[in-house]
Amino acid sequence: MAFKITSSPHVTKNSQTATVMQRVILCALPGLVVQCVYFGWGSLIQVLLAIAVALVAEAAVMKLRKRAVGVALGDYSAVLTALLLGIAIPPLAPWWVIVIGTLFAIVVVKHLYGGLGNNLFNPAMAAYVLLLIAYPVQMTTWVAPAPAAQYSPDLLASISQIFLPGSGDINLFRLGIDGTTMATPLDTMKTGLSMGLTSTEVLAKPLFDEGLSIGWFWVNMAYLAGGLVMLKLGAIRWQISTGMLAALFICSGIGFMMNPDTHGSPVFHLFSGATMLAAFFIATDPVTAATSNRGRLIFGALIGVLVYVIRQYGGYPDAVAFAVLLANLCAPLIDYYVRPRTYGHRSGN
Amino acid sequence: MLTNLEQLDNGVVWRIPGGIHPPEQKHLSNQTAIGTLPLDEYYYVPVPQVGEQASMAVAVGDHVLKGQPLTHGLNQHHLPVHAPTSGVIKAIEPRPSNHASGLPVNTCVIQADGKDSWVDLQSASLETLSNDDIVARVQAAGVAGMGGAAFPSHIKLSPASDIELVIINAVECEPYITSDDRLMREHADKIISGMEIIHQVLTPQRIIVGIEDNKPEAADALRKALSASKLPAGVARVTVVPTKYPSGGEKQLIQLLTGKEVPSGAIPAQLGILVHNVGTCAAISDAVLQGKPLIERVVTVTGGNVAQPGNYWMPIGTRVDHVLKCCGFNPEADQKVIIGGPMMGYTLPLIQVPVIKGTNCVLVPSSAEMSVDAKELSCIRCTECAQACPASLLPQQLYWHSKSGDYDKASDYNLRDCIECGCCSYVCPSDIPLVEYFRVAKSAIRNANEEKLKSERAKQKFEAKQARLEEEKRQREAKAKEAAERRQSNMSGGDKDAIAAALARVQAKKAVSAATPEAGADRKDKVADAVARAKARKAAQAAQSDSPAPEQNQANDAQKDKVAAAIARAKARKAAMQSDNEAEVDTNQTSAASSQKDKVAAAIARAKAKKEALKQALQAEAPTDSDNKSADEAADTLEPKADDRQARIAAAVARAKAKKAAAKDAGVNDPKGQIPEQNSVDSIAQSDPGELSAEEAKKARVAAAVAKAKAKKAAQQAGDSKSTVEDTQAESAEPKPEVELTAEEAKKARVAAAIAKAKAKKAAQQAGEGQGSDAHMQKQPADVNSAEPDSNSEPADVKPEAEPSAEEAKKARVAAAIAKAKAKKAARQDGEAQRPDNAAPLNDERSEAMSPDTDQSEQAPAQSAEEIKKARIAAAIAKAKAKKAAKDAEDKE
Ligand code: SF4
Ligand code: SF4
Repeated sequence: MAFKITSSPHVTKNSQTATVMQRVILCALPGLVVQCVYFGWGSLIQVLLAIAVALVAEAAVMKLRKRAVGVALGDYSAVLTALLLGIAIPPLAPWWVIVIGTLFAIVVVKHLYGGLGNNLFNPAMAAYVLLLIAYPVQMTTWVAPAPAAQYSPDLLASISQIFLPGSGDINLFRLGIDGTTMATPLDTMKTGLSMGLTSTEVLAKPLFDEGLSIGWFWVNMAYLAGGLVMLKLGAIRWQISTGMLAALFICSGIGFMMNPDTHGSPVFHLFSGATMLAAFFIATDPVTAATSNRGRLIFGALIGVLVYVIRQYGGYPDAVAFAVLLANLCAPLIDYYVRPRTYGHRSGN
Repeated sequence: MLTNLEQLDNGVVWRIPGGIHPPEQKHLSNQTAIGTLPLDEYYYVPVPQVGEQASMAVAVGDHVLKGQPLTHGLNQHHLPVHAPTSGVIKAIEPRPSNHASGLPVNTCVIQADGKDSWVDLQSASLETLSNDDIVARVQAAGVAGMGGAAFPSHIKLSPASDIELVIINAVECEPYITSDDRLMREHADKIISGMEIIHQVLTPQRIIVGIEDNKPEAADALRKALSASKLPAGVARVTVVPTKYPSGGEKQLIQLLTGKEVPSGAIPAQLGILVHNVGTCAAISDAVLQGKPLIERVVTVTGGNVAQPGNYWMPIGTRVDHVLKCCGFNPEADQKVIIGGPMMGYTLPLIQVPVIKGTNCVLVPSSAEMSVDAKELSCIRCTECAQACPASLLPQQLYWHSKSGDYDKASDYNLRDCIECGCCSYVCPSDIPLVEYFRVAKSAIRNANEEKLKSERAKQKFEAKQARLEEEKRQREAKAKEAAERRQSNMSGGDKDAIAAALARVQAKKAVSAATPEAGADRKDKVADAVARAKARKAAQAAQSDSPAPEQNQANDAQKDKVAAAIARAKARKAAMQSDNEAEVDTNQTSAASSQKDKVAAAIARAKAKKEALKQALQAEAPTDSDNKSADEAADTLEPKADDRQARIAAAVARAKAKKAAAKDAGVNDPKGQIPEQNSVDSIAQSDPGELSAEEAKKARVAAAVAKAKAKKAAQQAGDSKSTVEDTQAESAEPKPEVELTAEEAKKARVAAAIAKAKAKKAAQQAGEGQGSDAHMQKQPADVNSAEPDSNSEPADVKPEAEPSAEEAKKARVAAAIAKAKAKKAARQDGEAQRPDNAAPLNDERSEAMSPDTDQSEQAPAQSAEEIKKARIAAAIAKAKAKKAAKDAEDKE
């Protein structure tokens, strides 16, 4: 009889790309839930919409590229991209924002670069940056967290706000303070500081509670928890997250020590905006990160530094997307210069 | 060297990177004692060394006893094989091997007689044996490494350097396999006795047994046996290492136990470390103390699809299908039969293959135990593979480069340090068969290296041959010179300058026209150089096919020519190495004008040489006027019949020009350029700058070499990856028979040849300018030589890039002119045969580069009037061909 011929090894660990992605997605859900608690149903709707668009786009592109559609959909990478983008954009942004963003992420950033594994940039972040530049108003109009808002959008209001933009008065859901609309605490801080207020004065605003951003703190905590679970499950490795958080902590620490009046505290930075989301879910995207352990520490630290620099000195309130993209650009370089020392060799390269 | 004896003694275990923990599955087979199998009917004993290191000691039909050697060794690398049972030799023939490929290997088929009767074994005691005796007994017993690689143990026991640490590998980290485990439990004393023998031979400071912590019984058994051993106290110990695959890899085990790494490309012996497997220790003990050859070993038979998994003593040569039958094999669809473990073992395509010395396990898993054939997905760069790699490689990068065939990059990422352990494939979530990619890449790299080595060897062989031939040629030349000198005395002065003048004019014209395309771009140069190389090859062939040409060559002349051409090329290459850079710069700085001048000078010089030759030839052989005329016409249709006076004037002009050119050259190159050749006997040509001093000749050769080097380099740039190989072939002047030309290709080739000539000249000239116009003197004859006569035996390997373009057609015309010149050469060659004075001064220095000419002079005495006539006809034919080539080129256009 003929026997089957295969190449060693004949056993493999039952880890699948899909499993890894599923775990990441599951671990992001607590954060999403907390986000919904504070900012209404908007985020969930955005996420679902994004996932639907992503799956359709992925299937269409795979069909065009004459690849197996099922395999691509089954690896959950498109779902994860959509999830991250849906989480990142303002909950009540009009529907076409997320649709355009998702299409851009899947079709251009991912597939035009050769598909999963070949894309240079993190698709979700690239799309986010595109949206931020193309639709600055929609992309910076964040809903006020529930405790601070006069009205909290319910499900119906969220749906109508998203799908029939302009039908309701979005300003209802915004936090009106001194006639200005505030987006996120980071934005508030930035604007406040630029108006000559000290950070303490800014933190005295109703968006903040004991120096922390209302809502955002818990959202970040949820993502941190999800990230720790991922670490425990082995879905991600510690280097990138640690590198990023440590760098951000150190940078903001130095800034805060130098001049507490014009700089946010390290804790403020670590638990504001998308810090934790980025540290555990975005920067850790393996495709676009550096590959060696040391390289990943450097990669993470680079993001941390960039986040701080852009937040503190740049023109945009939150910097995660830009920082991640810039670090993506550097990843091949880092990989080239930071190689582990092979057994029996003296040095790395 | 071993600074960490203390740590060794304390059993310190170092960390190794990577590694995995696949399901062990050892309980399947390690529960029962080692059994034996019923005798098989036939045993297949592979004798792969026969023909290389060994010869058969038995013949078909012989009756052999168990343990009787089947092979005679011829050298130290011989690993004897023995009959595993008593019986009759039924056949000695290729049979499928126990290998992933199943490729047949020479096998001795023994039909068992069922008695299993032993030969007499010579037992000995350790005290009475010298080290050499021990090693000899180990070799005689055919002991080989039993961990899988089957490296001859006697070689390991006679290392070149001191061994300070012997590691006994008892790790057995592969899942499923328990043969060492059971052997240690049941025969620990034998293993320890083997260690004693190794200790006696190598006297290492320490012997450490490394064993994984999942085999506590075996470790205990070893410790117990060790405490009862005769080994000096403190020398040996058992060190337990944590269970992790692949701790049992030689390099990994060394790292685990000593913290040291075997340098890449080195062997452990260089660290003073030697690693033996426990099974090998037991076999060494048997061999040395009992004289028992290695004819059986413990093999694990396991997996979900055998009814009685376990360990069995198996004679070497037992067929795997017999083994499985005895163990209750229950195959399923798509059954795999794996030799070795699931991580590094290989599947057998056929199971009628023998158990061999390195076989430690036969694994027949159920499909549930093995991985499903998942589809390979894209790499998501998760770097799980890099985390798992025990060699700290970056498998995803290796994969990337291996897959795209970028093997240089893969090598840059240390592909060769991959031990093919399979950890990376094991963990890859995208189910990429990484190891398979690495194997493919490694073998591709290996093949490429072998190719390189082969051509290197061919080159060396050729150079040796060339040196020999050169010596022979020198001797012949000396003889020819002597003969020519005798003839010289018969000569009287006279002038047939017309011909010479015509030649000079033609050359000058040619030089001008050749110079025109030279003004062209770099790109053209590159093409030209590539073509020149093709031409060089053709030259070799042309030289070879010269013998049937109308010139009065003798049979061995062709060979001489060939050799000469080859030598010239070889020399050129050698010189090229030194002057490559120089030549490049020079070429870039060359102006068209100066090159033209050089060219003119060279042409004139050559014309002079020819003139002399002709004159002498004509005088010596007293040709008729009509002969003279026809030669003239054949040589150059542009040249009307000239009377003596005109000719003399022309010659005078040509000489003057030549002088001027030479002076310029000399000004740049050599103050001696204008000094007439002292050895020259010919009074007319005495001021001829064409006669080079020895030193100039040398320079000229260098210049030719530079030209050649440039050509070669350009060819490489043209992306010819086979260049080395082809060059070598060209050098040895072997036409490539495998390339067959169609009629059209032949035509093309002819055109190409013509172009090539022009190009080569150009290359020579460009290169020469840095070094002196002398380059021409060298290059030109070679060019001409290599040209037309063989247009019907077109070289097969003219480059495709030589296809004519509009621009090239022009060049082809130039080539036609050259061909004409060549026709003249035919005449000249006749002449040169009579003109030793010309060749003589060049003897030592120039002869290699110009050998086609000097070769001609060698058989000077063989000339006859009739032959000269023939040569002239040949010249005419050549010219016609040249014309045709030009026309072809135009047609093409
Ligand atoms: S097979 Fe090679 S690359 Fe893969 S883990 Fe083993 S040593 Fe590393
Ligand atoms: S484990 Fe597989 S998917 Fe992950 S980086 Fe390595 S090759 Fe790529």
